[in-house]
Amino acid sequence: MRKLSYLFLILSAFCFAVPAFAQGGEAGVTNWVAITAGFSMAIASAGCGIAQAKATAAAAEGLARNPAARPGIQLALILGLALIESLALYTLVIIFAKVK
Amino acid sequence: MEEGPTQLVASKNAESGASETFYAGAVDRIRRFMIALSLVSVATVAWRLDLRHALGFALGCAIAYLNFHWLKRGVSGLADRITKAGKPQSGAGIVVRFLLRYVLMALAAYVILTVSPASLNGLFAGLFLPVGAIACEAAYEAYAALIRRV
Repeated sequence: MRKLSYLFLILSAFCFAVPAFAQGGEAGVTNWVAITAGFSMAIASAGCGIAQAKATAAAAEGLARNPAARPGIQLALILGLALIESLALYTLVIIFAKVK
Repeated sequence: MEEGPTQLVASKNAESGASETFYAGAVDRIRRFMIALSLVSVATVAWRLDLRHALGFALGCAIAYLNFHWLKRGVSGLADRITKAGKPQSGAGIVVRFLLRYVLMALAAYVILTVSPASLNGLFAGLFLPVGAIACEAAYEAYAALIRRV
């Protein structure tokens, strides 16, 4: 197991070292904007997914405990989900503005 | 003339019933705000910018409205299933409808990007229609709470 982890460590080091083998000039320039855009969208999506999951779980639990409170919980859940979705959209728009 | 305890409880119940009715209509009000905002915004964009941006914005507004409608339907189906009220819906159907919204949005963005990249900005702006409508609803609720004492 330890040998396998060493192997993966060395392979990952080679992955990062690949640009070092590239020829000089424009082709070797790393597009950091694209890389950070991908990471930021991934982080935003993950955060929004977690937030939506937590909101839905809490609403489902509340509805199961107290079905009479359905109108209030449903309204809060709809608004919450719509606003959480818009956060991911903000990130997408910023990415488009920066990458374009 | 002083109010008795029974009249006080009755008036408090009436007040709470009125406020519950007021807040229960929030989603319908948001949908009306969305329609009104989209009409005003599309007209403004067509006037200030060009028709291409206005078309993109109108498409974004339509997708946002449909997205909000399906979100509401999905949440209602989920609530029906939890409280065992209304017509029973399949869990897979609810999830599929919930995820289909994202597919629709991605498809529309892709079509716009390939057909007319210039209107993509309008599309993105239109997707924020629910946020504007919710902000309008918040302002209206604040007005109702402060001025009308609902």
